[in-house]
Amino acid sequence: MSSAAPASASAATGRSGGEQRRRLAINRLKERLPTSDPGVIDRFLARHPVPLVEGRHATFVWRGSADEVMVRHRVVGLPDPLVLRPLGATDLWSATIELPEGSRVEYHFDIVRDGHREEYLNDPLNPRLAQGPFGATSVCAATGYAVPDWTQPDPEARTGTFTPMSLRSKALRREQQFSVYTPARFRELVRYPLLVVHDGYDYLDYASMATVLDNLIHRGEVAPLVAAFVPPGNRLVEYANHAPHARFVARELVPFLTERLPLVDQPDGRCVMGSSFGGVASLSTAVRYPEVFGSLLLESGSFVFTDIGDDHGGGPVFDPVVRFVNAYRARPRRVANRIYQTCGVYEPLITPNRSLVSTFRDTGMDVRYVEARDGHNWENWRDRLRDALTWIFPGEQKFIYE
Amino acid sequence: MSSTTLLGPQRFLTTAGSVVRGLGSEGPVAAVTAGWEEREGDDTELQEVMDGRVVNLRLHERMMSLLAQDAPFATAAITLRDAMDDLAGVYSIRLHHGLEGVYAVHRSTARADIVASALAEAVRLVQEVDRWYLRAVDQLHDELAATGALDDSGALQQHRGEVAETLSAASVLAIAGGHVGVLGRVLRLFEVAPPPELPVVAWSGGAMAVTARVVLFHDHTPTGFSDAGIWDRGLGRATGIIALPHARRRLRLDDRVRMSVLAGRFGDATCVLLDDGTRVALGADGALPAGTRVLATDGTVTALGVPTQPGAKP
Repeated sequence: MSSAAPASASAATGRSGGEQRRRLAINRLKERLPTSDPGVIDRFLARHPVPLVEGRHATFVWRGSADEVMVRHRVVGLPDPLVLRPLGATDLWSATIELPEGSRVEYHFDIVRDGHREEYLNDPLNPRLAQGPFGATSVCAATGYAVPDWTQPDPEARTGTFTPMSLRSKALRREQQFSVYTPARFRELVRYPLLVVHDGYDYLDYASMATVLDNLIHRGEVAPLVAAFVPPGNRLVEYANHAPHARFVARELVPFLTERLPLVDQPDGRCVMGSSFGGVASLSTAVRYPEVFGSLLLESGSFVFTDIGDDHGGGPVFDPVVRFVNAYRARPRRVANRIYQTCGVYEPLITPNRSLVSTFRDTGMDVRYVEARDGHNWENWRDRLRDALTWIFPGEQKFIYE
Repeated sequence: MSSTTLLGPQRFLTTAGSVVRGLGSEGPVAAVTAGWEEREGDDTELQEVMDGRVVNLRLHERMMSLLAQDAPFATAAITLRDAMDDLAGVYSIRLHHGLEGVYAVHRSTARADIVASALAEAVRLVQEVDRWYLRAVDQLHDELAATGALDDSGALQQHRGEVAETLSAASVLAIAGGHVGVLGRVLRLFEVAPPPELPVVAWSGGAMAVTARVVLFHDHTPTGFSDAGIWDRGLGRATGIIALPHARRRLRLDDRVRMSVLAGRFGDATCVLLDDGTRVALGADGALPAGTRVLATDGTVTALGVPTQPGAKP
């Protein structure tokens, strides 16, 4: 970790990087040690929410007896694990990193005590948690990051309706359950765009997608739409370029919904989306059935590929993904009119995602590519939904002049 | 021609009541609040502002009733709506490419006279796209009329008769804002055509609807600029005017290039800014009064020094 802050930050504050670090709260505390005052650490922690975010610096702290304390964060570019050091003879441990404005990092602690390692511990001093399929994770929000207001329930926004549905899929050879969102003020006379959501229930549970749709439709930023939230079966198989899955989405689900709901029955009125492997499933469906979806929304797609050999580093579950992406890169073609593609700059998938942008664009598809200072997680994907959905299905804001 | 008054948004600064009182007439105020869609009937506040004189034409409610009860009409109306959506989609593609061409020429560092000539030609191409779009809109409405679904609908004829009767007894027609697409649709459907002697007071989206061309615009969408484009013809009561309500909130008025393209593109009309508190009382000859804030062709906002015929370029 360099002790020098970037020139721009120094210029903005009028202080050198070294001076900035010396003035950090944790360093001011260090200067007061050792002390005979037994309450100094308690008062410090009472005064400062943790992690301590000061300008471009974030300081992680842990309190307790331990042999080793580490922050695990999976941020590309930072040491992982990030080792914390004890503050003098106290039981307070700390590590400071530079965290660019607007960043958001999910993390947990690993602790070694008496030769025993405890992993995936949330930060007991930090109440801010993100929920995910594998449990809650502590969150460090840098200067400039705020949870978008449109992700929070708005009492003025009328809520849409969820209807559980299922269909017998010949392609998947099973009954497939899913949940269908219809917007507030739903009317049979109106034709609605259709959004098919991979990992649908996770998007509802961890990306607040019901609230997001209600709010953005209420604000007129997104067109009232119908969304099918579809959970996976065997996710790592079905989402990794799996012909039966693509057939299910394109040839069974879409016709099933089109028969039962007033939908815009044209590619431009349809979008398929997903994150991570769900992004692969979305692209793979579009590659196999390019006439069905006019738009794709790909969030942190697991588009791992190799330029030579097969050492992709992702393990066996990525083998079919790599074969698929390699084949697509070898023969890229237009599979939709528009692609909204996004990825967190702190996740390893940023490189393949950046690489694919020009591949997509060169086929003539209209690509909007957005990066975020975030990682491979559901709140990152939640935070991109406004930009994505307003671009794909713009609402009637342009018509409203109260 | 009797008076036509265009007002800015009324949500935070209500002037419509005093304007109507200032007209001196005491009869009923026929009101169109269809832009509020299903909230059309929530007109208590409007009644208070208008001293209880409002007779709401309930055009949105009438349209929904027609769609529910008259199947041939509903089929024809939905066909028109779908075709309009298709047309608007194709128009936006053509418009976007046309405007990108204009801005690209603007950025050119080539010889000034060459750039000026290219710019004029690029703007002319955008104007041609606008004209094509309006011709296509007219054609779609002609197609609807040709189906006979309008003439054959007894219910529609009855609604039209009731609306005409209310208008004939009114001393003022007041048109509120809201969803200008819905507003334009119902004004056209129910043939709301205020006679010249009937004063009209219209605000925000309502002001757009009384002009000859309704231009949609929004420079602050979540994804940035959207291209200003024509939506439909309006009542044509105020001609030679492009009404731009919420201009400060919705336009990047400090972007001289975009504003100059907007003002120059509608060459035969004056872009009138209708912000909170704005009141533009057109003269008997349709002239814009002195003090009206407009977009000049150099992209600046300027106030007219003297009464000016719409379309004259400041």
